[in-house]
Amino acid sequence: MLARDRWILWLFLAPTLGLMGAFLYWPLVGTVWESFHDTSFINPDPRFVGWDIYEKVLSGRDFPEILRNSIVWTLGVVVLQNVLGFFVALLLNQGLPAQGLMRALVLLPFVLPGVVTAILWRFMYDPQLGLINSLMLRTGLAADNAAWLASPETAMAAVIFVAVWKGFPFSMLIYLAALQTVDKSQLEAATIDGAGPWRRLVDVTLPAIRHVIVVNVVLTLILTFNYFDIVWVMTRGGPQNATHIFPTQIFETGFGQFRFGEAATYGVFSILVIAALVALYVIATRVGAERRRTA
Amino acid sequence: MNLRLLATTAAAAICAQGALAQDITLQFWDNQQTESGLSQFQQEAVDRFMAENPDIAVEVTTIPYPEYQQRLLTAVQGGNAPDIATLDQIWVGAFAQAGAVADLTDRAAGSGISRDGFFPGAWDSAAFGDGLYGIPFNVDVWQFSFYNADLLEAAGVAPDSLTTFDGLRSAAEALTGDGQFGVGLFGHRGEDTVVVVNSFIFSNGGEVLAADGACALNAAPAVEAMNYLQDLAQFAPEGILNASSGDMRELFLNGSLAIEFWPALEQPTLQASDINWGFVNGTAGAGGTAVGTFGGWNLAVFESSEHQDAAWKFIEFMVREDVNGDVVDLIPANLAAADAFLSENREGPDAIMAHLNNAKPRPLSARYLEVADIQMTLYQDVFNGADVQEAADAACADIDALN
Repeated sequence: MLARDRWILWLFLAPTLGLMGAFLYWPLVGTVWESFHDTSFINPDPRFVGWDIYEKVLSGRDFPEILRNSIVWTLGVVVLQNVLGFFVALLLNQGLPAQGLMRALVLLPFVLPGVVTAILWRFMYDPQLGLINSLMLRTGLAADNAAWLASPETAMAAVIFVAVWKGFPFSMLIYLAALQTVDKSQLEAATIDGAGPWRRLVDVTLPAIRHVIVVNVVLTLILTFNYFDIVWVMTRGGPQNATHIFPTQIFETGFGQFRFGEAATYGVFSILVIAALVALYVIATRVGAERRRTA
Repeated sequence: MNLRLLATTAAAAICAQGALAQDITLQFWDNQQTESGLSQFQQEAVDRFMAENPDIAVEVTTIPYPEYQQRLLTAVQGGNAPDIATLDQIWVGAFAQAGAVADLTDRAAGSGISRDGFFPGAWDSAAFGDGLYGIPFNVDVWQFSFYNADLLEAAGVAPDSLTTFDGLRSAAEALTGDGQFGVGLFGHRGEDTVVVVNSFIFSNGGEVLAADGACALNAAPAVEAMNYLQDLAQFAPEGILNASSGDMRELFLNGSLAIEFWPALEQPTLQASDINWGFVNGTAGAGGTAVGTFGGWNLAVFESSEHQDAAWKFIEFMVREDVNGDVVDLIPANLAAADAFLSENREGPDAIMAHLNNAKPRPLSARYLEVADIQMTLYQDVFNGADVQEAADAACADIDALN
């Protein structure tokens, strides 16, 4: 590349880099800086405290709960969303009648805004007026009204279910696109060799789309870890912190209690996890691209 | 020549006056808690203010309640605070400590605006340290016990019995069964949970913080009140830990809940319903008087405002007896305006006035929101069946550690 070309390249990149610097990297650096300073709304002059806030957060009662909840939430949603999305994609890839209509119907939850989804399901889960309990009582699956979102034992499972309901069409779309790229001649050859549907899936389909699976899983890990609206609207992190995850804790600490330094510290932990997941994503896409090139 | 000079000077003066007209524009932020058409009434009042003060223009921004705190906080942090805003009573300490709002002590004294003209608890909620950081704008009190008169009559429960701890428990027990619930207790992580439990604690002689600022939630009166509520919860609808006052309203309106806890703000909703309702002023021990928890909003001037004189003029106008009742959706904080407002708009105005005059504000602390967060955790533990004394001891350790 000529020196002049390089200069033009940077000229064209400059607006994007400038905007990213101002709206992404600068706040990121600000968050890290704030996590080392005792600062809140009532004490706006930041005081450098080193690792004190980290020690306070790590030794507090909330951190282990929030970490555990975040892991359960993220893994629960990602695993279920991807498994469900994959099998629905398999189903919709079979050439069933009215397939276009079915795909559109399956996509509906995904296009609903998160807040609308959360409010809708909050009503569905209502112990007295909700559809879930009404159905369970009528079909004899339950004898009493269950308080799905009000019990620390069931609240996390209930919000995970809603996130999966909303998110699986996203995974399904990607898997469906990937399934349509699987070489049909390989599937036909496997069939001629006597392979049943399960063997075809395990030995032909899955290896052919494994890079898509990895990218999809990593992508949903990142999106799910950062999820806020469904959990906040449905439970506000309760009952008794049972559904508090990093994003809800950051919001409540910062905007609910005006403790910016502590919120920033939770933010830094969150950034570290996201950074690791993004690195995983980059590696997965590079490996996938490499394999496609050498195949 | 002189005539021409005179004419030129007059024309210049007229032009200058024209240029001065509305040369100050105030930004006023308020939140809206109900669908009462308040914005329209506020705009009418603002138009009246601008007619009385032609050199001042006012732009009103009404923000839905759920996002108001975040918007205001972001604006202050970003250096874009409005000139005037309504502040929740529980935010005043933090905003004052942060230096975000102006001390209005001298202005109030100079204008003859004093505690005598307002509900005492509301006035006190604007005082922080030695300063006065707001003027009470509107008020209400948690809680009134609204009851379904038909359900009480069918169960043979006298409404007056709801005013005592024993009476409320007996009534709740008698009214629970066959898909019907006696009492609308709720315990989600929200300020409505805090104020209702507080009022039971206050009514039992307890406190959240003692006079010296130490936590008093583990003292006997508070623990006794929380034990009472833990027992009472068996007569509440399932799902107490994720239920809010709004959820209880739904059940009350569909006739499956006999008693709900709300401030007087609930009356317009009930007036528009088919429910045969009534209310009593909270619940206290035998022979005692219920003490409610004050709620409401104060008008504050922001330190960053370049038009603090004009902002003060606007506040004087908004809390005036002939204006205050037209621009609030709770109850006017101005006593005289409240009297007229309640007589015109609410059932039982005398009872409401008595409950307002007897109410206590929440702790006046710059760290109130952190105290309230600890209280929410405590109250959720209580409603989930924890040992009350142990949970209160843990909560007090956390609250005292804030100091």
